[in-house]
Amino acid sequence: MNFEIMKSYLPLYKDAMLLTLKIGWLGIFFSIVIGFVCALIRYNRIPLLQRVVGAYIELFRNTPLLVQLFFLYFGLPNIGISIDAQSCGVLGLALIGGAYMAETFRSGLEAIDKIQTESALSLGMNGWQIFIHIIVPQAVAVSIPAFVANIIFLLKETSVFSAISLMDLMFTAKDLIGLYYKTIECLTLLVVFYMIILIPVSILGSIVERKVRYASFGD
Amino acid sequence: MKKNIFRTIGTLGLTAVTALGLLSGCGSKSADTASAKAADTKDGSADAVYRTLDEIKESGTINIGVFSDKSPFGYVDENGEYQGYDVYFANKIGEDLGVDINYVSTEAASRIEYLQTGKVDIILANFTVTPERAEEVDFALPYMNVALGVVSHDDKVIKDLSEIGADEQVIVISGTTAETYLTKNYPDIKLQKFDTYAAAKSAFENGTGVAWANDNTEVIAFAAENEGYTVGIDSLGSADTIAPAVSKGNETLLKWINDEIVTIGKDNFFHKDYEETLVDTYGTEFEETLVVESGEVK
Repeated sequence: MNFEIMKSYLPLYKDAMLLTLKIGWLGIFFSIVIGFVCALIRYNRIPLLQRVVGAYIELFRNTPLLVQLFFLYFGLPNIGISIDAQSCGVLGLALIGGAYMAETFRSGLEAIDKIQTESALSLGMNGWQIFIHIIVPQAVAVSIPAFVANIIFLLKETSVFSAISLMDLMFTAKDLIGLYYKTIECLTLLVVFYMIILIPVSILGSIVERKVRYASFGD
Repeated sequence: MKKNIFRTIGTLGLTAVTALGLLSGCGSKSADTASAKAADTKDGSADAVYRTLDEIKESGTINIGVFSDKSPFGYVDENGEYQGYDVYFANKIGEDLGVDINYVSTEAASRIEYLQTGKVDIILANFTVTPERAEEVDFALPYMNVALGVVSHDDKVIKDLSEIGADEQVIVISGTTAETYLTKNYPDIKLQKFDTYAAAKSAFENGTGVAWANDNTEVIAFAAENEGYTVGIDSLGSADTIAPAVSKGNETLLKWINDEIVTIGKDNFFHKDYEETLVDTYGTEFEETLVVESGEVK
């Protein structure tokens, strides 16, 4: 393994990492928003809307991100909608992530026993108070492990962005291999950079998980 | 709580150690195989990544890497059969070797890897001979001429690379000679890179990029098959050749292919190949410019 060569590739990998992070975190932010709204719609069984949300979740959870990206980037221009590659990346990630997040949040909300709502009502709390003080803290605690898993999953999914010409980490590595044939150096850097991105998320996830556990144990 | 923190640290430590071990393992292993390969070229020992001519004959099947999305050189037709100028030659190789052919669909950027890992025996995927590539794989005699070309939209034909604006993008396919040439000689031109021919084609048709740089054979074919495009630059960079490639050091197979190219050249095989596969796209005017017979470049 030639470390000099690896060093000379570092700026390119850094750019790629920043792009991966930018699209990744934007996509994740919007997926949380979408997921939260969808989960509330399904949890409160809002007529009609819950059907729409159900269809959306099934559609996007059961198709690969690659297919969705192809559709957004190569398919939509045929009907006159042209979106640039970066926005396609963010949109694709937000849509697939939103579907996963919605199910994660909903499972958290529905894990809270109905008896708690009834008890709170009998204590004179109103619906909003119950939701904010009783349901959400516990739902968050239940959802966190799946939530962190979703975030890691979404960050890793960015590796299919090469299909729509985004120079993310994966494509940068593949492209450099194609240009200079230093396979082992490029792949090693790829692993290292993915770990630089993902290990902090993993650590942060387990810390947050511990912090919010009070809700389920009451300590 | 405390236990948890220690467990986290423990897990992390273990992860780091494993990763480092993995990486250093990879490093030394690659050095080993590199030296092993070097040794192979001399004594042809058995644990080489490639298969020798005899091993291929014995197995009864040869693995040939071709393009599946690059009409008219290597593509899959409506019946699911591989077709094209490269494939026509590949079929001849299979026939004369007396073995079945297992076609492996490759992308431009992974052609070298396929040979280096022994996943195919021959690459016949419109592979341009360059000195850099020749350090990684062994090229046989050439069977086609090629240069680079640039195709652009009819309403804004690019006749010179200097016409490309600072914020305009040129489409290239990752791992092609066009990418290498532009990266080296025109570092200021912004490249929009795609990993497959099909993706680059769709994006260009959707209006991405002001031009598409690729082998001139391909851009001429693209402009001929699609309305609204003109090849503004039909010869760019050095005149190169296209040749079959085998894994570095696979001398028995390389020699056989070279002999084959010389032999079938006597019957003007590649002219026949051109007339069967390329004439619909290029007409007869490019026949003498493109075809290389018996490996003799004029």
